[in-house]
Amino acid sequence: MSKPSPKVENPVVTHKLSIDAVSKRFPLPGGKEIEAIRDVSFGVEENEICVILGPSGCGKSTILRMVAGLVDPSSGTLLLDGHEISGPDKERGMVFQAYTSFDWLSVRGNVEYGMRINGVPTAKRHEQAQKFIDLVQLGKFAEVYPSQLSGGMKQRVAIARTLANDPSLLLMDEPFGALDAETRWHMQELLVSIAESANTTIVMVTHDIEEAIYLADKIVFLSSHPGRVHEIIVPEFKKGRRYTDKEEVIAMKGYSALERQIMKLMREQGASDDY
Amino acid sequence: MTVSNKSNNRRQWLQLRKPVSSRQSLISAIFIWVLFFAVWEGVARAGLVNSLLVPSPHAIVTTLVDMLINRDFVYDILISIWRVVLSFGIACSVAIPLGIMMGAFPAVEAVANPFVSAWRYLPAPSFIPILLMWFGTGETPKLALLVIGVIFFLITLIMDHTKQVRKELIETGLTLGGDRWTIVRTIILPSVMPNILTAMRQMLAVTWTYLVIAEIVASTTGIGAMMMRARRFLHTDEIMAGIIVIGALGLTFDILFRKLHRWLFPYLHGRES
Ligand SMILES: Nc1ncnc2c1ncn2[C@@H]1O[C@H](COP(=O)(O)OP(=O)(O)O)[C@@H](O)[C@H]1O
Ligand SMILES: [Mg+2]
Repeated sequence: MSKPSPKVENPVVTHKLSIDAVSKRFPLPGGKEIEAIRDVSFGVEENEICVILGPSGCGKSTILRMVAGLVDPSSGTLLLDGHEISGPDKERGMVFQAYTSFDWLSVRGNVEYGMRINGVPTAKRHEQAQKFIDLVQLGKFAEVYPSQLSGGMKQRVAIARTLANDPSLLLMDEPFGALDAETRWHMQELLVSIAESANTTIVMVTHDIEEAIYLADKIVFLSSHPGRVHEIIVPEFKKGRRYTDKEEVIAMKGYSALERQIMKLMREQGASDDY
Repeated sequence: MTVSNKSNNRRQWLQLRKPVSSRQSLISAIFIWVLFFAVWEGVARAGLVNSLLVPSPHAIVTTLVDMLINRDFVYDILISIWRVVLSFGIACSVAIPLGIMMGAFPAVEAVANPFVSAWRYLPAPSFIPILLMWFGTGETPKLALLVIGVIFFLITLIMDHTKQVRKELIETGLTLGGDRWTIVRTIILPSVMPNILTAMRQMLAVTWTYLVIAEIVASTTGIGAMMMRARRFLHTDEIMAGIIVIGALGLTFDILFRKLHRWLFPYLHGRES
């Protein structure tokens, strides 16, 4: 676990999370390197839902994993609350696309896990776990083992487990990517209400345009090979509000135009893969 | 029309890839064994084989009961079980922690694996002469053979199972604030335990094989030694009784391990709770 490193002076603006001129090269067998992302900079504000969007392979996961501290940047800095990120820590909890339920623990055991290893006193732990189990609407399943849950429920367990650990930042890498369309829709709406009631800052990766527009306060659109910030898109038509009803957002004036705009970007970036 | 109706109405015994009911599979299993022993018994009674070399199943059972009640066969059985349990316990107490460490930490694997994997290619029985020279004729050479016979395979199996613990589970633990040892203890260990128990069940069967070798070659006690004594007096019924007992013990341990698996890991066995 990383100790708070010395505050780095940030002269102009201070973000909750600031990613500054970050590049990442992975070594390939045979001494060569692959440049996954190049010179990526953007900031995420307190309580914001920031969605990283882009064609597959453009480096979205790599950026998120660097924020989580699971991968080190080749150059550049990542600061959370002014402290440099080095290594994974409970202040940056991550939800993966693949199911990560601990099969040997009940739903409650899963949600309590982080607090248990971090030495949160029992009474506080029970209370906190119950709160987040209720928040993800799994009250009736608290004592059930994950193998008996559907995919959507497993992801809700993962979200509750991460939030119950009280992270400063919630990271999600295509968390609903493995779910069927209807469940995904439901989970997206649930996430909005969770973000509202738990006051969390969320950085989420997706390649689903509809999901990005519905959830995001801000979209960081990446171009591919190597991944760079192509454009930062704020869905202005939502007027800075969040909606727990996705249909409402899709029906709004401005939704289609933005969707079309991003689709075009996607297609340009996807097409450049062919060369 | 008529043809397809006919085949629909009559239930066929041979159904392509259609699972059989548990009742049918039980009946089938009993059937094949009853058939085997019936043919054997029939052949023996009809005098088609030399009864000195191939006693009838009936005669073997009679001998076995007599050995258990009137002779000291129970003592041989107990000593064999004790050897298997003790040597297997020793093997596991080294293999489980080492295998997990090798699977969890590549640096440990880099040191231990070249050593462990080389040993797997040395046939354990080839150590019998040297073990006898070092340890004489007591229990030590037998236990050593049983340990050498399974420990290296067990370590490798456990290492491989540990490596298969999914990366996302470990990374989840890291982003929840777990340090290395917390993750080994609270994520890797519980993830891999069911597979370790299965590996133990498989390797225990191998231990029984080495037990018989050890007792036949270098022992005066145990089931294997009893069988070698019987050979000297051409008591084929006693030899076969020994084979049956070893088979029954192997099966019993297998069932015990399966039961233990269900009991320890109920979440892997359906909805019962
Ligand atoms: N551990 C790694 N080793 C080598 N190359 C990697 C590694 N992780 C990612 N990459 C490469 O970096 C690029 C970006 O990957 P990733 O971040 O997973 O993309 P995305 O999540 O946008 O689909 C890809 O070309 C991928 O092959
Ligand atoms: Mg990805």
